[in-house]
Amino acid sequence: MARPSNHFQSTVGSKIVMALSGLGLVIYVIFHMLGNLQVFEGSHALNGYAAFLREMPILLWTARAGLLSIVVLHIMLAIQLTLRNRRARPVAYVVRQYRQASFSSRTMAASGLVLLLFIIFHLLHLTAGVIDSSSADRLDAEGHRDVYGKIIHAFQNPFIVALYLAGQLGLGLHLNHAVTSSLQTLGLEHAAFNRLFKAAGPTVALLVVLGNAAIILAIFLGIVRG
Amino acid sequence: MKFSLNIWRQKGPDEKGSFMTYEARDVSAGMSFLEMLDGVNQGLIAKGEEPVAFEQDCREGICGSCSLVINGIPHGPDRGITTCQLYMRRFPDGAAITIEPWRARAFPIIKDLVVDRRALDRVMQAGGYISVNTGGAVDGNVLLISKDQAETAMDAASCIGCGACVAACKNASAMLFVAAKVSHLALLPQGKPERTRRVKAMLGVMDREGFGSCGNQNECEAVCPKGISVRFIAALNREYLRAGVVELGLPAEPESPHAESA
Ligand code: HEM
Ligand code: SF4
Ligand code: FES
Repeated sequence: MARPSNHFQSTVGSKIVMALSGLGLVIYVIFHMLGNLQVFEGSHALNGYAAFLREMPILLWTARAGLLSIVVLHIMLAIQLTLRNRRARPVAYVVRQYRQASFSSRTMAASGLVLLLFIIFHLLHLTAGVIDSSSADRLDAEGHRDVYGKIIHAFQNPFIVALYLAGQLGLGLHLNHAVTSSLQTLGLEHAAFNRLFKAAGPTVALLVVLGNAAIILAIFLGIVRG
Repeated sequence: MKFSLNIWRQKGPDEKGSFMTYEARDVSAGMSFLEMLDGVNQGLIAKGEEPVAFEQDCREGICGSCSLVINGIPHGPDRGITTCQLYMRRFPDGAAITIEPWRARAFPIIKDLVVDRRALDRVMQAGGYISVNTGGAVDGNVLLISKDQAETAMDAASCIGCGACVAACKNASAMLFVAAKVSHLALLPQGKPERTRRVKAMLGVMDREGFGSCGNQNECEAVCPKGISVRFIAALNREYLRAGVVELGLPAEPESPHAESA
């Protein structure tokens, strides 16, 4: 048997792993957004959902470990490829004119970095409760952890709102190029579907960002209250 | 017409280069870009200075020798042509034009605007061919190939190996070139027997030569004088995935180079 590991050490192989890991994260981000939209159904729905997730510690921790390893893989390959690509052109052009490369495609490393910083902040803030511990372990009327109250409290603060919206900007920029690009990297191309594939990136990016931003803004503007 | 040219000058591979400004006078609108440079070089020779070195051969857009990044775009502002097919009427009179060589680690500068593009040849040597026994030519129409397939293969095969795709790519990746070469052979029955080792070998050399990875920005397609489509890059990725799957079922020490076609 030829070892498949060698197959993924080439640049094309690395890109394929990046595309697969990235798409895994995209699927997670979509479900994360959909789950959180339950904020609009009130504290009962959201806290019930959060409790439901925590009722299955094995599943929860498997998912967390899986996500973490996917993120680490994605970032390590991103760094490796980005360094390689920098080396591939040691002397830059003095005049450079792009013909069709989108803004988001040119800023993947930057938007990825924004995302990484945001993810760390987000985990410290809402998952671990390190940044704001004031409402960390409060329980709601039904004895569930009061995730709803925690979110309502968090998004009263304009600084937190600004940070989260900046994170969404990074996410939108990254996904706008990433989803379409990953389909091309996986060799998905067909005359009948190419328009669909081209639209996939912007569509996914827009839906995810709109969904997330709606939650943040609805709370900040007092449309959803505690 | 009159132009002010800002040209990269570099005496040799290991020398430090810099930009020099030259005036191009008495240029007619119907001159090609290279003819305009010929005029500038005549002036330099008359003054006893070193002429600007640039590559060219056919001057009719088919050989892939000419290069030049003109105002930040490989092969200049028009789409679907090489630098030798670019005419001075395309530029406003009196314009300043910056001319740089292809920039990539895999394309070291030989002199001025001339770069060493043999890295692309080495990629070809790794697998851009088919192994056939010599002898009489096969009779026509023995191998039936559908019109669609023949046309698509020809679209890929029209790559002239100029390297503009590398020059345009933010990552100096040669993916469009390799995609064109791999696809056109993989599409035809003659190319199929060796396709598994071909794609691995050519991509292996591409990596070794120091080209970057593909970011799917499609800048290559936009500057390619032959309009090679990035769909061939998707096809190349498919070929590579296919090779990985096929190899899982092959013996660990695959064959000598030509075993597959034997
Ligand atoms: C956390 C920090 C992250 C960093 C530093 C990062 C970095 C990158 C970079 C640099 C690329 C471009 C690779 C190339 O063009 O060669 C990329 C592609 C991609 N990223 Fe990320 N990313 C991060 C997080 C994410 C997340 C959270 C997602 C999903 C929501 C994601 C999904 C993708 C996808 C789908 C691709 C496309 C792969 C391809 O071009 O085929 N990334 N990432
Ligand atoms: S793909 Fe186009 S730009 Fe690249 S080498 Fe071939 S002809 Fe030149
Ligand atoms: S000189 Fe042959 S293509 Fe331009």
